[in-house]
Parts: sequence; C-alpha cells; structure tokens
Amino acid sequence: MGWLTKDIERAPCTVEVSHCFESLHAHVRFNNGAVIYPGDEVKVHGPEIMAPFGEVVREDREATIVRASKLEQLWTRLTGDFEIMELCEFSFSEEVTL
Amino acid sequence: MNAHSGKHTADATTVEEGLAIAEELDRQYTNEMATETAMQNTLLTPRFYTTDFDELDAIDVSGVREDWDKLIDQMEADPNRGHFKKNEDWDHVDWENMEPQLKKEFIDFLISSCTAEFSGCVLYKEMKRRGNNKDITQLFQLMARDEARHAGFINDALREAGLRVNLGFLTQKKKYTYFRPKFIYYATYLSEKIGYARYITIFRHLEANPEHRFHPIFKWFCEWCNDEFSHGEAFALLMKTDPKLTSGINVYWIKFFLTAVYATMYVRDHQRPAFHKALGVDPDWYAHEVFTKTSELSKQIFPITLDIDSPKWQPLLERLQKANVDLDRAKKQGGPIGFVKRMSASARAATAFVQLLLIPSKGNQVPANVRLEPVY
Repeated sequence: MGWLTKDIERAPCTVEVSHCFESLHAHVRFNNGAVIYPGDEVKVHGPEIMAPFGEVVREDREATIVRASKLEQLWTRLTGDFEIMELCEFSFSEEVTL
Repeated sequence: MNAHSGKHTADATTVEEGLAIAEELDRQYTNEMATETAMQNTLLTPRFYTTDFDELDAIDVSGVREDWDKLIDQMEADPNRGHFKKNEDWDHVDWENMEPQLKKEFIDFLISSCTAEFSGCVLYKEMKRRGNNKDITQLFQLMARDEARHAGFINDALREAGLRVNLGFLTQKKKYTYFRPKFIYYATYLSEKIGYARYITIFRHLEANPEHRFHPIFKWFCEWCNDEFSHGEAFALLMKTDPKLTSGINVYWIKFFLTAVYATMYVRDHQRPAFHKALGVDPDWYAHEVFTKTSELSKQIFPITLDIDSPKWQPLLERLQKANVDLDRAKKQGGPIGFVKRMSASARAATAFVQLLLIPSKGNQVPANVRLEPVY
C-alpha cells in the first residue's frame, strides 16, 4: 500500500440476503479471508441481489476491494468519528420537511 | 432442515436457525413475486463501518463476570422469541384513508427505524465476525439477531403499506468508514437507552390513551424496547470493564454525546408534527420525558448528567430547532440571498449547540453495581 496509490484486489465472496419476517439482513463474507480496512471500498459484482419476501438468498460472487491509499486510510481514521451520530437511532430521517 | 417443520421463523433461537426455517418456507412465496413488482421500491442505505478490532478483542469482562454471564444467559434464553410475529392483536390498518401528511411521516418513521435496525445488525455482525474474544463475539451475535428480527418486523409493516425494501445496496460500491471503539460504546449505549425511553414512553402513553393508537405496531413497543434495554446494559458493562472510558477527558466526550443525541432527537421529532399530533403527544413534553428517563438510566455508568431543567436548556433547543428550519429553507431557496441566509442559520445553529454544551452538567456518583432492570 502506497501513500497515494490504491491497490485493487478481487476476492471471492458469499452474499447472504434475508428478506424474511424473522430476519431482514444482508451480509458479505469474503471467502479468502480478505480484511477490510478504513477507507476501503467494496463492490460486489453481478446483478442486484433481490430476495423475494420470505426468502433467504445465498450466492457466491466476486467482489472488488479498492484499497484506500495510506493517506486516505489515515484520513478516514481521523475523520470517521465525526460521522458517529449515524449510529444513533432517532426514529426519523433528517429531512426537515416531508 | 425438515427438523424445523411447522415452526415459525420468529421462534428460531439463532440467526442460523431462523434462516434455515425461512429457507424451507421459500417455496410458499413464489406467488408473492407477482405482487412484489407492483410495490414501490425503497432502497435501504445502511452504512458500513470498521473499528479497531484488536482493541475489542482486548476487552476483559472478568471484572464484571457475574453480571455479564447473567445478561448473556438472559439474552440466550431469548424471552422475546416468538414475540415479533403478527397475531390477532395486529388490527387492520386503513392505509388508504390515512391522512396524507400523517402517512408520509409515519412511513418515514418506519423506514428510518428499519434502516437503523438494519445498520445496527450490519455493525454488530461485523464485530462478531472480526472479533476473536468469545465474550464479545457472543454478545454481538445476540444483538445482531435482535436487530435483524426488529428490522424484519418493521419491514412487514412497510409491506402492508405497499412499500418493498430493496436490499440491492450490496452490489453498489460502498465505502467503509472508521469509528473508535469507545465512540461506538458511547453512541450505541445512548442510542439503545434513548430508544428504550422513546418506545416505552409512547407505549405507556398509548396504554392510557388507546384511541390514539393509529397503527398496531405500537402494541409491540414494550417487548421491543426491552431488547433495546438489554443491549444498553451490555454496553454499560463493557464500559465498566475499563474505568478510563468514563473518566478524565472522556467525561467531555460523554457530555458531547449526550448533548448531541438529545439535541438531534429534539430537532427531528419537531419536524414530524402530524405523527405526534396523531399520537396525541406534545413533542416538547415527550422530549422532556425521554430526556428525564434517559438521564436517570445513564447514571448507571456516566459520571455526569445534563442539566435538562436549567432555564437555558429548553430555549436553546428551540433556537436550535428554528435555526435548522431556516437552514433548510435557505438551502431550498438557493442563490446568493439563500447563501447568506444559510450562513446565518448555520452560525445560529452552531452557537445554540455550543451554548447547550456550556450549560454546566450535574455530577453523579456511579454505583458499584451497574445492572438495571427496565421499570418504566
């Protein structure tokens, strides 16, 4: 990883989308043990994965990981905290008027 | 998988079991596809986070072991399993005749809540997956289960309204941001506790005034908020493992988070007047009620509480709210005049927030025993 250069990796992954009453979730797991660091970007290839209601869809796909440059990683570590309020649940969107 | 036959997914004890049961049910839903396409699509846009996973692994809960095990056992026992499914209490909702503004605000409520639960699930699952400390991964797995269950429940209410959530965000490019573990503790602890206070206040209010219950989902708020409560308890115990997290410079961070969370809640609630009117709730009363409960609860771990009864508190919140409305109006107006108005509104909002921060806080002697039970 360079200070300014971005590395691009491809990684096999398993995507699991659950669109069920019991559980609504969607996760990506990298099957080669790839680890995501601050500032990295991940894109799963292929068509949108749409699970019909009541279904769990599990698919093996390929993902591209665009590694953040060293500088970008540092920047994300320094500034990421400013977005922390997103973690809080306020029941409503930030739109002032609807 | 046949072992699960006849079981409802809401009875599942783990995420995995729930998935297995749901998979089995897949076949039943093929006809649903036809209706799906007629539904309006709502793309969920959760955020993706990383944190310092080594720091998380280094947490040692042995200092609070007894309380910790009790809490985990309680979560494993999963008293709310089976609760989040519709039964005869789920009354018919007349979406067609719902007042349009109320409908808009209520749907905003459902989508925002669903996204929040969903993002919580993504975050907790990530922490579970990346961690190596058994205590921590077990906790996050349990919390991810609850959040996914809540999200599924809200999603069902959305479907009734003709809205289909779209989970297609995975195939879009997404960037991972970074939060320090301690900020995750402060923010999620407060979020879970304020969530409990918000839900229980509405639940109790509607118990006393059932004529205002315009949607059945509010009947589920009681058990729902008990999940939030236990999640908050877990974060309180996590913070208890390291006294540094709640002393020294971190006290200022705690004050900042308390102020930011309270102020944001106040501003957002005041932006949804039709929702609160339908519930028969005065947002000012509601805010004060929620702040009082949250402050009382947070005394379990935070060495300070905000002085919400200070004569400066309410007027400053109102000023912040007004500045926020002006800011939005100026943004929409655009042009050079809009720009000037925007600068002025931003400055007023920032000043009000800083003044809120400057109200002296009240000291609090944190008890030796952290654990609380939901009593409101």
